[in-house]
Amino acid sequence: MHIPDGLLDPITTIVLWIITIATMIFGYFRMGKMFEKEDSEKFVPYIGVLAAIIFAFQFVNYPVPGGTSGHLVGGTLVAIILGPWASVIVLFLILVIQSLFGDGGITVLGANAFNMGIIGGIVGFYLVMLFVRLLNKTKMKKEYKLTIATAIGSYIAIVLASFICGIEIAISGTIPFEIAVPAMVFWHTLIGIGEGIISALIVFYIYKTKPEFITTESMLKVK
Amino acid sequence: MGVIKRNKWPLITILIIIAALMFVIAVGFTIGFLSENPDGLERVLIDYYGEEWLENLFSPWVPFLSWLSNDYVAGIVGIILSIAVLTGTFYLIARLKKKKVTQSGLI
Repeated sequence: MHIPDGLLDPITTIVLWIITIATMIFGYFRMGKMFEKEDSEKFVPYIGVLAAIIFAFQFVNYPVPGGTSGHLVGGTLVAIILGPWASVIVLFLILVIQSLFGDGGITVLGANAFNMGIIGGIVGFYLVMLFVRLLNKTKMKKEYKLTIATAIGSYIAIVLASFICGIEIAISGTIPFEIAVPAMVFWHTLIGIGEGIISALIVFYIYKTKPEFITTESMLKVK
Repeated sequence: MGVIKRNKWPLITILIIIAALMFVIAVGFTIGFLSENPDGLERVLIDYYGEEWLENLFSPWVPFLSWLSNDYVAGIVGIILSIAVLTGTFYLIARLKKKKVTQSGLI
């Protein structure tokens, strides 16, 4: 879902840059209390590892039926581990690095961070929160509730991000709305399955082995 | 040295995970389970305009690291860059936030 340079018109590009920068500034101030604790620096190397995982998984293109491929975006995954506001900054920085390799444009970094960081991260996180609340009504084990909620939340977030991406392309006049949006959503309903499975497996593993690294557990209210 | 000693286990974890990721990427490219097919957005653009149009999109710059044509090398460089940039940024964020809390007398 990495938009290349030259695809979006200047107005769409600028508006999405403004929204992304404003969200990152707001996110810096809203970022969880984890960075204000005395031993907060111990989390920093793990954030580096998480970045490496996201970068590597975004690099790994798995085949999808119909002659296309998909890869992890990781917005919802990062948001569950580090919090929704930190996820935008993490995704933005990863996208900056990827653009150095030509994967995604530099002028459209704002748009890519909006789709993958804000929609994939923040919206995805609140979707997971919603599904956790719904699953709290069942007698399932905590780790299964979080895993299932992550799978569904990250899947919907990716499909939603592709829908928004289709709108951005249509507004820019690159492809008509009636073609861009259905096509983007169709392919990402398939690609999103991989996103849901990978995100859920990683969250399940972390929650089983080092639950304290799911820093949003209290926010998600998994019971 | 103190910083390294304090963060011994996180650093060991990082090294193990990087090794595992590099192994996955290497095996993926070697046995070919990684797909060369276009992703969702590229597929939509190719279906509408064709592959040549996508390759000739105007870009105001040449990506600095686009000369790295070997996927395996690019993967390793990217992983190292990601760790360096993210660790550096969040170390700064943690320092700034802690400083703010200390100044306000909360710690």
